[in-house]
Amino acid sequence: MNDLEYARSEVRRHIGNQWEEIVKAGFRLGLAGALLAMLTAVASAEKVLRIEDIPIGELDPAKAADVADSILMFNVYDTLVLANQGKSGVGPLLAKSWKVDGSDFTFTLRDDVIFHTGNPLTSDDVVYSFQRFVALGQGLSHLLRGHVKSVTAVDEHTVKFSLEKPYAPFLTSLTRLPVIDSKSAKANTKSGTFGDNGDYAQAYLTAHDLGTGAYRIVSHNPQEATEFARNDKYFLAFPDGAPDRVTLRYGLDAATIRTLLARGELDISSQWLAPEIMSSLAKEPGMKLVAETSLGNYSIKLNTQRAPLDDVHCRRAIADAIDYQALLSLAKLTNDISSGTPANGPIPAGVLGADSDLPYPKKDMDKARKELKQCAHDPAASKIVISWISEIPVEEKYALLMQANFQELGFKTEVVRMPWAFYTQQTATPGSTPHIGQLFSVPTLPDPDALLYNTYHSSVRGTYASSQWLVDSEVDNLLDAGRATFDEAEREKIYRKLDARLVELQPNIFGYNTKTVRVVRDGIHITPLEEKGKAYSQAVVNLMFRNITIK
Amino acid sequence: MELLRVVSARLAGIILVLFGTSLLIFGIARIIPGDPARIALGPEASQEQVQMLRERLHLDEPFGAQYIEFLKDLSMGDLGTSLYTQRPVVQDISTALPATFELVFAAGLLVLLLGIPMGVLSAHWRDRAGDHVIRLVALLGVVTPSFVWAVLLMLTFAYFTEILPAAGRLSQSVSPAPLVTGMYTLDAAIAGRWDILKDALLHLILPAVALAMSGIGQIARLTRASVAEIYQATYIDMARAYGFAPRRIAMKYALRPALIPTLTVFGLDFANMLGGAFLIEQVFGWPGLARYGVQAILHKDLNAIVGVVLVISAFFLIVNAIVDMAAAWINPRIRLSGPAV
Repeated sequence: MNDLEYARSEVRRHIGNQWEEIVKAGFRLGLAGALLAMLTAVASAEKVLRIEDIPIGELDPAKAADVADSILMFNVYDTLVLANQGKSGVGPLLAKSWKVDGSDFTFTLRDDVIFHTGNPLTSDDVVYSFQRFVALGQGLSHLLRGHVKSVTAVDEHTVKFSLEKPYAPFLTSLTRLPVIDSKSAKANTKSGTFGDNGDYAQAYLTAHDLGTGAYRIVSHNPQEATEFARNDKYFLAFPDGAPDRVTLRYGLDAATIRTLLARGELDISSQWLAPEIMSSLAKEPGMKLVAETSLGNYSIKLNTQRAPLDDVHCRRAIADAIDYQALLSLAKLTNDISSGTPANGPIPAGVLGADSDLPYPKKDMDKARKELKQCAHDPAASKIVISWISEIPVEEKYALLMQANFQELGFKTEVVRMPWAFYTQQTATPGSTPHIGQLFSVPTLPDPDALLYNTYHSSVRGTYASSQWLVDSEVDNLLDAGRATFDEAEREKIYRKLDARLVELQPNIFGYNTKTVRVVRDGIHITPLEEKGKAYSQAVVNLMFRNITIK
Repeated sequence: MELLRVVSARLAGIILVLFGTSLLIFGIARIIPGDPARIALGPEASQEQVQMLRERLHLDEPFGAQYIEFLKDLSMGDLGTSLYTQRPVVQDISTALPATFELVFAAGLLVLLLGIPMGVLSAHWRDRAGDHVIRLVALLGVVTPSFVWAVLLMLTFAYFTEILPAAGRLSQSVSPAPLVTGMYTLDAAIAGRWDILKDALLHLILPAVALAMSGIGQIARLTRASVAEIYQATYIDMARAYGFAPRRIAMKYALRPALIPTLTVFGLDFANMLGGAFLIEQVFGWPGLARYGVQAILHKDLNAIVGVVLVISAFFLIVNAIVDMAAAWINPRIRLSGPAV
């Protein structure tokens, strides 16, 4: 064998060995694949729920404000009381009962509640959670801040709240006070600006869970996804088919959501999809639309401090010129489901004080022209700036509809697109607030105060919610009285008066009452929303995973 | 010593530019409309709560005092807390940056591996059918916006055929390999977890291709133009006259000088992709820095805006410096005419 032949044989031998290795590796890979497939099959017996919402998911429950934060809060943490199913008011959750004595509320806690950390629930945890919630001053802490004089742990399972003065929304406000494990929080406190409480465990609670909720956190990235696992030590029973694991993904694009739903990789969409996408998805096999009465509304805010809308007759004139049917038709998703229902005032049907006897507004040009004659401003000499939020494309359609309607009355109009951040800045002064703003409002509590006080009380002007800049002593008095009255019948009378007064003053055009609609895959059953009489009277609570079942 | 001097000079330049950028973006972030405290707390927060947050963020202090406070924190590696995520900005960036790096590196690799050969082949087949096809593909790559590519690719490969995953960095049933770099593919390779690597690569394909399409087209067109021009040079005629093989002429004598403008443009494109990946990250649910940056701007999250801009600027400057040095290494005329600063 010469050198060349030797080299060739070596190469052949080497390649031959390699092939042998490749075959062996392929065999090993195949075996691993088969094992993996078996494991996957076992794992797939688990009930897994996949949902999505917009970022970010704030895990610290004291900072929860948006929908994603609230989904996290209501599933990972519990509150003393919870909105009732199928009726207004609140019922027990961590508190099994309570007594009211004037402005003192004494709660008796359940004694079978264990935190995810393993610590049992005590009244000290409630006291700490309240103090932390108010001290941080974020999320929905304004609901309790300034209204509570003291909170004391009477004994291990009794806690007493004393109010500064009568505050009717107090009990419903407690539905936004999540209870955290104070022992673990204190053990994970870093130095900070809250004296002995350091940073109040903010750094820890942004990434970890110290709750008692039906689901515990497995992993959390506030911009990407949160993974949950069922808490098998939960104090309430789970229905058959409740998810074992849940993935909440944040910030998916509409096209991606559509693809994931079609591929069976997503079960429930957020409420933020464009109506045309929802309509289109509703036609796809294996998908359905599920609506939730949000107790909120879409309102067109009129700046009562800028001419010509500083004159109530001009405000009423443009309100009569609006084509309400066209507004509602833009909210329609299918023949059966719409994200809007007609509104007849500022308080949506289902909320205390809503007056079904008030007439529903409709386009009436004769009435509009009569009102316009009484207005001190000449419409031809008045320009109305109609703004719409660039992040909410449907508002542009509404703005163009308004432009066409107002021009019928002879008003000059200008449609202006504003990014949300810019709009919030513009509404800080009456001079910079556009004549017309649009807002979708959902009350944070099942209470009229949550929807009305921050919108109409003169003391809170200067935010995007109160961009009407309304000043009316009667409205202020009624709002204050509504807050201070515990008797429900009496409160109802107050809010009905307020309802009528706001319709008379017309600081808003009451567009429609809103419904929250989501695309849901067949096989997923959201019990509170799909079974009559089981809906909770509070936004997002209906999405508690323990009330969802998977076939 | 010469190399050390060049690198030091370049580094000093980078620090100076970063300082100027920080001052500029610190000012611009405060001009963007909206009160960050009010946006963060919502309409229902009391004026007292808003004021508390403004004080905590030093927003009531003069611009100079705010900037000095920022520099003090920055010197300790602290970019403040994000109002949007409520987490330290450094932590947010360190989570989002590897995801974007992974995407941009993959896209950059595709640009080089596909763009340059397409350009060389196109010049080689000048005015023949192959040239026309490549030019058409390159033109399509350049003129079609990246989000259109993203949606088209997703529809084709994830919606209709379900060959590739539609979104995310890993399948829901797969956990990432132990964290080393934050880039899932690299971490999986380091850990020897080929199942995770395969899953991560499958997730990477669509976003990386969508992001790379414009760069591939641009680099192919540029390489073609440069190589075609060099093909007219007399030394190429001389090589042909000597009877050198066409492949040798293309790869050794034409491509190397043609690479200089290509590399410069590639460097700019590569750095641009870091900030410009927003739409791709949005469509494919990729939790990267570009998406984080846009959300920060929309929420007027001052600390996050400044942090993201600084990181992207630093990356841009570093890539440019590397490209300049690479160009000097490739072209002796640049190298010998003075330091690449």
